[in-house]
Amino acid sequence: MISRDPSTRAVITGYGCVTPLGEDAPSTWSSLIAGETARAPITIIEVEGCRVTEGAQARLPDLGFLSTKQTRRLSRASRLAIPAAGEALGMAGLLDSSGRSVLGRLEMSVSTTACGMEKGEQFVRALRVGSSAGNATRVSRYQAHQQVAEIQSSYGFGGSVMIVANACAGGGNAIGHAADLIRSGMAEIVLAGGYDALCELVFAGFDSLQTLAPDACRPFDKGRSGLMLGEGAAFLVIESEHHAARRGARILGAVAGYGQTTDTLHLTQPAQDGAPLEKAMRKALATAGMEASEIGYVNAHGTGTPFNDGAEARAFQRVFGDTPVRLSSTKAALGHTLGAAGSIEAVLSLLAIESGCLPPQINLLDPEPDVAGHLTGLGEKREINAAMSVNLGFGGSNAAVIFSKS
Amino acid sequence: MVSLAPGILSVGSVSPAGIGPESLEKDFPTTLVTDRDAGGEHPASLVDRSHPALLRWEKSPRLRRASPITYFMIEAVSQALEAAPGIDLSRTGVVASFFLGCLVYSARFYRDMNKEGRRFASPILFPETVFNSPLSHVVSTLGIGGPVHSQIGDKSCWATALRTAECWLRLGEADHVIVLGAEEFDPLICHAFRASGLMKRGGLLPGEGAGAILLTSGTTPCNTRLSRLTDGHAFHSKEEALPAARSCLEDLPQGDPVLSTATSWVRTTERLATEDRLLARQETVRCEASTASAAWDTIRGIRLLERMETENLIVPYWGLTREFSAARLSRGTLQD
Repeated sequence: MISRDPSTRAVITGYGCVTPLGEDAPSTWSSLIAGETARAPITIIEVEGCRVTEGAQARLPDLGFLSTKQTRRLSRASRLAIPAAGEALGMAGLLDSSGRSVLGRLEMSVSTTACGMEKGEQFVRALRVGSSAGNATRVSRYQAHQQVAEIQSSYGFGGSVMIVANACAGGGNAIGHAADLIRSGMAEIVLAGGYDALCELVFAGFDSLQTLAPDACRPFDKGRSGLMLGEGAAFLVIESEHHAARRGARILGAVAGYGQTTDTLHLTQPAQDGAPLEKAMRKALATAGMEASEIGYVNAHGTGTPFNDGAEARAFQRVFGDTPVRLSSTKAALGHTLGAAGSIEAVLSLLAIESGCLPPQINLLDPEPDVAGHLTGLGEKREINAAMSVNLGFGGSNAAVIFSKS
Repeated sequence: MVSLAPGILSVGSVSPAGIGPESLEKDFPTTLVTDRDAGGEHPASLVDRSHPALLRWEKSPRLRRASPITYFMIEAVSQALEAAPGIDLSRTGVVASFFLGCLVYSARFYRDMNKEGRRFASPILFPETVFNSPLSHVVSTLGIGGPVHSQIGDKSCWATALRTAECWLRLGEADHVIVLGAEEFDPLICHAFRASGLMKRGGLLPGEGAGAILLTSGTTPCNTRLSRLTDGHAFHSKEEALPAARSCLEDLPQGDPVLSTATSWVRTTERLATEDRLLARQETVRCEASTASAAWDTIRGIRLLERMETENLIVPYWGLTREFSAARLSRGTLQD
């Protein structure tokens, strides 16, 4: 069971995100609740020749505290991650008046799948034409630890960093691991989150698998035809309740439970009975000491692919059955953000608890029977005490994280 | 007081010097690799990919199309498991650490896509380029059922992987955890190292392979324990490297001997930071295979500690681009 001890209970004191729906958490949330979608033609990377050329791209926030030259050298992933981390740190009261961290060392638990991939792509293209100018920068800016270093130097802190690359479940793993570090007494405060930017290799890869939706992404709809790729970043400040109390921080919620499993059936297809995902959800419930009936809202992975949503719906049916749980996938609105997905969806789950507004399941025409009675509608409101965020990834990675009221 | 320090039950290794941890004492072979795409020849130290110990895994259906790194990993893990028979795999976790992961297939996928056009990008290769695919093949093939993480960073992230294992053991998420470091070679890495200035004056020999150690909870009797870890000592320039190295070593008990593990430009930093605590470097040819090298250095440290009179040994993990970390190995005991 999850700790009730204030020194090892993991609470949340700040969050922030950049998504295709908005440059921060409030703007993302208001667009999401209004039922908007960010789907549009992709213009930031080359997609000519792909079967699908639409997706969800973010507008990059202005980084006023960096020079134009500094900003230009950053990877797109860093351009997304730095402001998301800053929003979380600011909300948690960890930035001073000049925007610098009040903590010299702050542990990080981070997820990504593609690092600063466009820098790597630029490096390979330059090699092919025999150019070496700028290659040192491209190589260094590709690596995942470089994006983390840029977050740290933007706000002036250092410390231990764990970067998990469990594909699309990584965001959930990063948050779950942060809570584990606190639960085990190995850390008192952790900045946890994830980021991923659209890039040519990944877009063409998903296109080659023919998993991209040629039109609207329709999670949990019988007629669903694929996913919509997106990009973004989100971070949460997670600390022990004792640490938060000691520094007078406002507690916004708690990481109540976490479960992870690996589906060993296939590299890219989940077991169709949903059993490995069910095990992860039950593990999260067990660590939270909760019954399924106590979960008010589930932010599903819901990519909109036939395989994923079918397996997920069966797992939900077995875990939640006839409980009144409400459920939606926000990927129809802001896209599948890969390594950032679990973290963005964690922020949205917290906002659902905080506001009582539930993200609507948009683009739904003919719902999957297993979850038809649970899918949320536009404008739906309900007071909930706990929400679960679920993610699945290539390689069979599954993560389920439960968030609760403070 | 009962120590919580994880015990090291067994190890496994696949390196250019051979299969199995004993081969780490040998010279690493150097070969010249021709780059057919970007041109040129590059010195490298490579695993014998046709070794029967690796080819035996070709029979597994999941591994037929898997990348070389997957074969290195599964062989290293299976050696560690075979040396500790009877453990419950359903209660065993795995943390794999990578610098570049599936480099061979990523380079091939991107190259083919550019050559043939995006419409003809390979749907078979693409899933194999994902960081956690090799580990997914390993846990599926061997039937490992505990928590699984693929982690990335420079060489120093090996210590972070060890720390994750320690966390899972403390919380009882697993009874045993395998920690892996693995890399595979593609000529692309030589261009990247050269662009970064790491191959100046022959200062770095790129390599490949994997190393694995099997950890158990603090209450299990073991010959060697992982008594302390330190990580997160970052640097942004060579000027910042020496203070970072000193900070890394100061975070551990003073006076313990330090195993020499540095390659490339970090050799000078290591010598200055460790002063008279540095154990003489073995005079064998070594390569830099990032997280795999970190695993091999840990295995060398474990084997060395068994032969030494000292109670403890520091093994540093000198990342070349970002961060330093280190582990303190101690003779096995249940007492702090």
